[in-house]
Amino acid sequence: MVRKLLVIGLDCVPPNLLYKEFKEELPNISMLLDDGYKAEMKTTNPPITIPAWAVMTTGKSPGELGIYGFRHRIKGKYNDFYIVNSRYIKTPAIWDVIGRKDLKSIVVGVPPSYPPKPIKGYMVSGFITPGPESRYTFPITLKRTLEKNFGKYIFDVVYRSEDKDRIVEELWKMTIQHFKIYSYLASKDWWTLMMFVEIGTDRVHHAFWGYMDKEHHKYTPGNKYEKIIEEYYKLVDEKIGELLKNVPKDTVISIVSDHGAKRMKGAFVINQWMIKEGYMKLQKSVGQGTELKDAPVDWKNTLAWGWGGYYARIFLNVKGREPYGIIEPEDYEHYRDELKEKIQRIRGPNGEEWKTKVYRPEELYPVVRGDPPDLIVYFDDLYWRSAGTLGWPTMYLKENDRGPDDAVHDWIGVFTLYDPENTVDRKEKRVDIQDISKIYLETILGETDG
Amino acid sequence: MGEKVTIEIPKELYEKAQKYIQESGGEFKSVNELVEFVLNELLSEEEEETVFTPEEEEKIKQRLKSLGYI
Repeated sequence: MVRKLLVIGLDCVPPNLLYKEFKEELPNISMLLDDGYKAEMKTTNPPITIPAWAVMTTGKSPGELGIYGFRHRIKGKYNDFYIVNSRYIKTPAIWDVIGRKDLKSIVVGVPPSYPPKPIKGYMVSGFITPGPESRYTFPITLKRTLEKNFGKYIFDVVYRSEDKDRIVEELWKMTIQHFKIYSYLASKDWWTLMMFVEIGTDRVHHAFWGYMDKEHHKYTPGNKYEKIIEEYYKLVDEKIGELLKNVPKDTVISIVSDHGAKRMKGAFVINQWMIKEGYMKLQKSVGQGTELKDAPVDWKNTLAWGWGGYYARIFLNVKGREPYGIIEPEDYEHYRDELKEKIQRIRGPNGEEWKTKVYRPEELYPVVRGDPPDLIVYFDDLYWRSAGTLGWPTMYLKENDRGPDDAVHDWIGVFTLYDPENTVDRKEKRVDIQDISKIYLETILGETDG
Repeated sequence: MGEKVTIEIPKELYEKAQKYIQESGGEFKSVNELVEFVLNELLSEEEEETVFTPEEEEKIKQRLKSLGYI
């Protein structure tokens, strides 16, 4: 028997907040947790929004999908990159699979979903949509309906700012609008799968983690924004309660995140380390915070360089592959091994040991498609993000080089499944993100072959 | 858009469009309005392979920077 499934995607939500710290304050979510199944969700490598949701909805690894982040380097270029969009996903997602069985879906804001693809049902693209003037819905007439009823779609908030009151105001405004739209769409009676991703949970973590987490270096007791993340979760819970009133009683409900979150300890300036270790040369010194693309890199004397982000991507300057490549192809593995080992040994600002992990893409994925970096690096198990800019007085920045940010991503997110008819029989304490599409298909179709 | 012209579509398609309008809950007042909207959307679309215009791409890169992904 086909079942209706509602997937509530909450970007960046870690289990300790949803299952423990805030649980008592969240009556609607608590009901779903107490009467349903909940697990830790082990996310993907790298634990980044775009690959994570794509892996979850297709069941393929980032290597198979060829998606390693929001952007990829253009082959043979030092500074040019392209933005990942929905057309790079060639594997059918859950809604495509059930669509072949003539079952309809409503998909809202599930990255990467711009441009929206034709599906059986409705699709609204997510936060990488250029703007409300873009064609962000399938079918195109849906955009008009949504705008007439709910105003211009709010795709995101800019949270890297010290104007915290503005961020709070915009976060609430965006989330309230989104949930009105989710509720409106959920009230259609024709869908089998409805899945949406609310990005606000990610934004509230990044903007306010340091105000909440007593271990964070920025935390001060009794600060004005200490309860903002909790208040935001309460808002989401209240809106989920309203949404559930628009959903038939026999609908299976899942709450899921794409990765977890934890406090950011700082940003490590990867390219200054490259210079110090003799892997990179500049023709002259640069001012504080200079972008790599604006820096006078002496490429003919540079062996490797890195990108910033929640994880570092390392590229080697290989002869025949890069315009001024100097590493002979036969020496490629030698340099890659050497860099891997040296990066693993990097210590913290006070000489403390770090739990840095460095991978060759082929160690992580059975197939490596697209444009991966030569090495994937998680500084101190993600506590330190990577800063790609140059010219800083230190390699250890307390603050991110791109403006205030308090949180980094973490490996464990959430996965819950609540069936009012009580058919969920799962015991695993941990679910792998790559297995979730199969679980959803089994839930909807009641079969295992998907 | 000033001057109007008349176009012809199959009756069957017209009837389908009328049904769509009724079911859309008053979002479109007439088949004329629906056809005009759909054509506008279609013709404003960039070529199939171009997802982002150069301006859009720059805007998104700036946004991703401000979001910390870059």
